Amino acid sequence: MRELRANISGIIKSSVIDGPGNRMVIFFQACNLNCMYCHNSHTIGLCNYCEICATACPTQSLAIDKEKKQIFHNDVTCTHCDTCLKVCPENSSPFYKSMSVNDLISEILEIKDFISGITVSGGEVMLQAKFLEQLFISIRNHTELKALSILIDSNGNVDQNRWETVLDWVDGFMIDIKAYSPDIHKQITGFSNEKILKSIHYLNLKGKLKELRLVFVPTYNDSDEEIKKITDLMKRLSPEVKKVLIKMRKHGIREKYNFLNEPSLDEMKAVLNRFETAGLNLLII
Amino acid sequence: MEDIKNRVLEVLTDGNLDYKQKKHHLAYIAESTQAYPKVSAEAMEALSEKVICDLFEGSAPYRPRYILPDYKLALIRGIKYLELDPPTDFDEAINFLSILYSHVPSITGYSVYLGSIDQLLLPYVGDLTEEAIYKKLKLFWRYIDRCLPDAFVHANIGPEDNIIARSILKIEREFKQVVPNLTLKYDTEKTSDDLLEEAVKTVFEVAKPHIANHKMTAADFKGNYGVVSCYNSLPEGGGSHTLIRLNLKKISDAHKGNLETFFSNTLPKYCLMTLDVIEARMKYLVETVKYFETDFLAQEGIIKLENFSAMFGFYGLAECVNLLMKNNGQDYPYGQNDEANQLGHRILEEMKKLVDSRQLPYCEANNGKAFFHSQSGIDIDIEETAGARIPIGEEPDIYSHINTVAPHHHLFNGGISDIFHFDETIKRNPLAVLDIIKGAFKKGMRMFTFNLSDSEFIRITGYLVRRSDLKEFREEGSRYGSTLFAANSMDNADVDKRIAKRVNSHERTASQY
Ligand code: SF4
Ligand code: SF4
Repeated sequence: MRELRANISGIIKSSVIDGPGNRMVIFFQACNLNCMYCHNSHTIGLCNYCEICATACPTQSLAIDKEKKQIFHNDVTCTHCDTCLKVCPENSSPFYKSMSVNDLISEILEIKDFISGITVSGGEVMLQAKFLEQLFISIRNHTELKALSILIDSNGNVDQNRWETVLDWVDGFMIDIKAYSPDIHKQITGFSNEKILKSIHYLNLKGKLKELRLVFVPTYNDSDEEIKKITDLMKRLSPEVKKVLIKMRKHGIREKYNFLNEPSLDEMKAVLNRFETAGLNLLII
Repeated sequence: MEDIKNRVLEVLTDGNLDYKQKKHHLAYIAESTQAYPKVSAEAMEALSEKVICDLFEGSAPYRPRYILPDYKLALIRGIKYLELDPPTDFDEAINFLSILYSHVPSITGYSVYLGSIDQLLLPYVGDLTEEAIYKKLKLFWRYIDRCLPDAFVHANIGPEDNIIARSILKIEREFKQVVPNLTLKYDTEKTSDDLLEEAVKTVFEVAKPHIANHKMTAADFKGNYGVVSCYNSLPEGGGSHTLIRLNLKKISDAHKGNLETFFSNTLPKYCLMTLDVIEARMKYLVETVKYFETDFLAQEGIIKLENFSAMFGFYGLAECVNLLMKNNGQDYPYGQNDEANQLGHRILEEMKKLVDSRQLPYCEANNGKAFFHSQSGIDIDIEETAGARIPIGEEPDIYSHINTVAPHHHLFNGGISDIFHFDETIKRNPLAVLDIIKGAFKKGMRMFTFNLSDSEFIRITGYLVRRSDLKEFREEGSRYGSTLFAANSMDNADVDKRIAKRVNSHERTASQY
């Protein structure tokens, strides 16, 4: 069988904010939503080797071989100015790497003694369900890695068969709900949310939904109706599911979305109170 | 004589010292009238140039530097000298220890070791409720802080999970006292994750306990051991006569020649000189002062000469490596470059060999050899990094940091520490620290100490001060985390002068007058 590969936009070897314990986080390239407040918009798209970034790079640190579909990056001359990321018309990046399951396993082995587990994130990691399945099976079959916990951080926007592919190997899922009404969801992410709502109920039913997170975007997802519907949804989930309210942060978002307002602490408290009145206690991050 | 008179007057009239502190300094001045134990002229010069540093132990040692009484034995037998019968319940046990503590000599004037406090008190718990134990321990802990006001006073807990250890951690979080310093002995097989988590949460609040790798440390001792003062591990029922440290920066500065002659000449020459100083001081204490014949602890078997040894310490490895590398045409720093790290390891291995090949008298606890100790620095160290640490602000990421230092931890039967800094976000995820501690111990680390960037407690060299005790703490935020944490910064001396006067750190102040 041909070895599967995935596009990896980054690896953090020690994260204390992506699940319980010290975790290694693997970020996958490409997403099937396009959220206004995305902090890593260069992980949304895939590169088409258009060379725009190479031309724009002020230090000529990039060279692109269109035919071989290869990008060369000179780490010595690169000043990490991020111009390449800003000019990319595809919301992509010249930096992500194609990696095999074995490549990732050796990265994990290097630090296995220091971590509780791994978290895979994106982009949208479930777009790589087949690759994940192989990665997870390799972990579970590896004498030195099998005890690691595996968490998936996903936007939920995939069909049930993809969840089925990985479900048995995974300790839990952390899913975002961006809005309840499909229209508002479309405004925020560019896409409707039917699949996401289905995914939330499916994972809840399977007992694998660990965390459901709502990112609060003032004037978008804070109408009375939104709050009521989200509350109803969350109340139907198992009490084991951690329900979290996240403050939308403007740090790192694309210039064209600069009009968004970052909620103040008071606004956060106010919206938290409205959920409370509706009968739901949320944790704030 | 005129000089002595002036020094005495200076102490007597110094408004920054309380009565007891004055007495301690007066004693130091009186001791300095005696000739230094006989060593070569060259060693005397090295001492006065601070190439070899005796940490202000004084010129006429009349008590061992670190004493670790066998408190367990004392509780069982009672102490005639103090007219104390063996205690029969919890209150009596606490009372017994409180009295005994105030009679244990040490270099600082206060007992540096309070014992494995949970192991000592557990037999007396009886049918006391959790609440009652907590209340009694609270009073005990307050007594310790108020009556043994010295940052080097150190208690141990663990490795087993128990009600006393837990109560102490709770009290630590509540009282936020500087004294006593605290170490949890951690053993994967004996210590519950729950207790380790409690300890980690306590570090978040008060920057202690330190976490010691119990299995690894215990293997270095014939009997029980204790962690005392600044990360020193020593035998119970004994201790260390003296701690003399070699300034590796200064010997590399003075070294003329290439790398190989450093190993063949300079390093052995100064190591042997340091060992000479150690030997002379021990002989003075044992043969001239006859400490072990006259002190009640020794007479009653609470300490035994055969459980003593001495400590060979060093500091400034980083500067030493960097200079040797530079002179060798490779300007790569220790902590960030593999070759530099290898050179560091080589120096440590070589020193360990030299220390182990010298047979010393009165060091039976370690089969006639000194304990090898990576000294965590004192605040007069301006240019030298503590022990074998990577200089503050130059530490690589946590895994590389651990992988750099862990391989040499096994050498230090006398103790070593490295300090890791965590961002405050880790407070929400204490399990992450558990993971890192366990990983570090698996890699062979002996002791794990960490700080949070926003801690109320600030670690200076090895001991702690409370941020709120620092009166005119300049440029908060910018100095903090870099200069302030530096064990070798001039500013530290200033910071230290401004700590609450009630609590001492005599290593520095002893030489001031
Ligand atoms: S990263 Fe973006 S700009 Fe650069 S070649 Fe790929 S698609 Fe074009
Ligand atoms: S970060 Fe800046 S310097 Fe580096 S490759 Fe991108 S555009 Fe060039």
